[in-house]
Amino acid sequence: MLDLTPSLVLLGAGAVSVVLAVALTPPGLPRRDLAAQGGVALVAMAVIAMADTLDVVILALLAAAVARAALAGSRKLAARLRPPVVAAALLSLALVFGRVQGPDLLARFSAVGLVAGLAAGVGVLPYIHSHDPDDASEPDAVWIGLLGPVLAAAVLIRARDLLIPDAGGQLGAMLIGLGLLNIAWGTLATWLTKRDSAAWHYSFMADWGLALCGFGILVADGRSAALLVLFGVVLGRFPLQAAARRPEADGASTVRPIKLVVGALLAGSAPFVGFAARVLLLRGAVQISWPLAVVLVIGLLLWLPPSLRLGRSLKVPRGRQALALAAVLAINVAVGLYPLPILRLAGS
Amino acid sequence: MIEAGGAALAWLGASLIVLADGRRGLALGLGAIGLGMCAVVWPSGPGLAAGALAIGGILAGAQRLRNGPPGWAIMPAGSTPRLVLCLVGGLLALWIGAAVTSGTGASLRIAVLAVIGMTGVRVFGGHQPEVMLSGVAGLVLAVAAASSLSGTSPETVVFAGGALIAVGTSLIRLPEPSDA
Repeated sequence: MLDLTPSLVLLGAGAVSVVLAVALTPPGLPRRDLAAQGGVALVAMAVIAMADTLDVVILALLAAAVARAALAGSRKLAARLRPPVVAAALLSLALVFGRVQGPDLLARFSAVGLVAGLAAGVGVLPYIHSHDPDDASEPDAVWIGLLGPVLAAAVLIRARDLLIPDAGGQLGAMLIGLGLLNIAWGTLATWLTKRDSAAWHYSFMADWGLALCGFGILVADGRSAALLVLFGVVLGRFPLQAAARRPEADGASTVRPIKLVVGALLAGSAPFVGFAARVLLLRGAVQISWPLAVVLVIGLLLWLPPSLRLGRSLKVPRGRQALALAAVLAINVAVGLYPLPILRLAGS
Repeated sequence: MIEAGGAALAWLGASLIVLADGRRGLALGLGAIGLGMCAVVWPSGPGLAAGALAIGGILAGAQRLRNGPPGWAIMPAGSTPRLVLCLVGGLLALWIGAAVTSGTGASLRIAVLAVIGMTGVRVFGGHQPEVMLSGVAGLVLAVAAASSLSGTSPETVVFAGGALIAVGTSLIRLPEPSDA
């Protein structure tokens, strides 16, 4: 019997997140697009979260990819369809190699296919999804910030049944390697890129790097850390990214306390959920290899400057947006201070 | 014998999707993939469930006939790399499915590997929406058929779901870009 609860927890968080993201969308931007994309993603997330087998997960991924691409129209169809379909093809090959009888090498290919398919599906290195920084109306973070976490949890939970123990260890090593690469690339690119919209896009990759490392660390703390990081992505970074879709005009990006608070949330400072995730991740890393913990600490130090930059890119919220932002902050503080219910609910 | 013929038909269907730019070629490819997949999963599963793949492929092909670039447009100028893909993809699937792996169901392994690989590459390198959607429909049918590899009896729900998604993918009508 599969433990589906981590995916279901992320699904519930995703439903709340879509509502918050729509509420946080600045006036003048089409909220309907985000609501439609979020709705499609939620339906796919529900199917993926409750799927018994990896076959159903892949079919749901393909259906969601087609629906999302069709919503975008023929001009953007190719760009939107390509990454998830490549992901589905790679995951399918991994599935086939994992199921057939043959040499152990096939199980290793299966592990490679799972990691490559996951990277392509989510949109992290080495397969970053195309991003149009000039199109403020395009809610492209739906894939990396909403559907991706449920997909990752579903695929990696089911991978345990697919892979032999030896290949499971190699899967973990690949996840850690890919995670470290994404932490470095994501934080540096967030810091150094010129456009704020691109910086937000890269910041998701950095968070995903942490989550991949957590999944790769094959101890309970690592898995718990990964789930908390993904929870923070879904209920923190995703709605906040929606709020930043129209940054302030040049010269108006003043420092306000609320922006510093948002920057602290994005950086994973205490008392937000990211802090608990980082503590668990480092504890898990120490258990398997202290040099890995050192590398992770160096990576975590890189988080602060880009997070402050992202916090400054927000407009000071008013009215409905202020309420939604307060809800995002409250949820992240609550789970950060007391993550046990979420972890227990997720079976960690 | 039927299984081997089904695998060959599925490869032929995937080759048509790779080689064709016109709606007729794409439609025939989808129909061939559906029938081929039905033939390779038939021995390991209930006939009705396997029939869903054939019906799905044929209906998806029929829908494709109503939308997309007109004609066959098989192997237009500059399609040598696509031809190479068809040959290499087929040979690679044959080698892995028949020689590297073992156990019963070699035809199913060959068909699934060939269709997933070829349609995946087609979508990866494609630009025309109708061609990409046809590739996705073929891939969906192959993923559904791959559930037969699980060792347990194939799930009717997966076959029916795959057929529905393949037909739904071909039903999508895209307006022409306004600046085209």
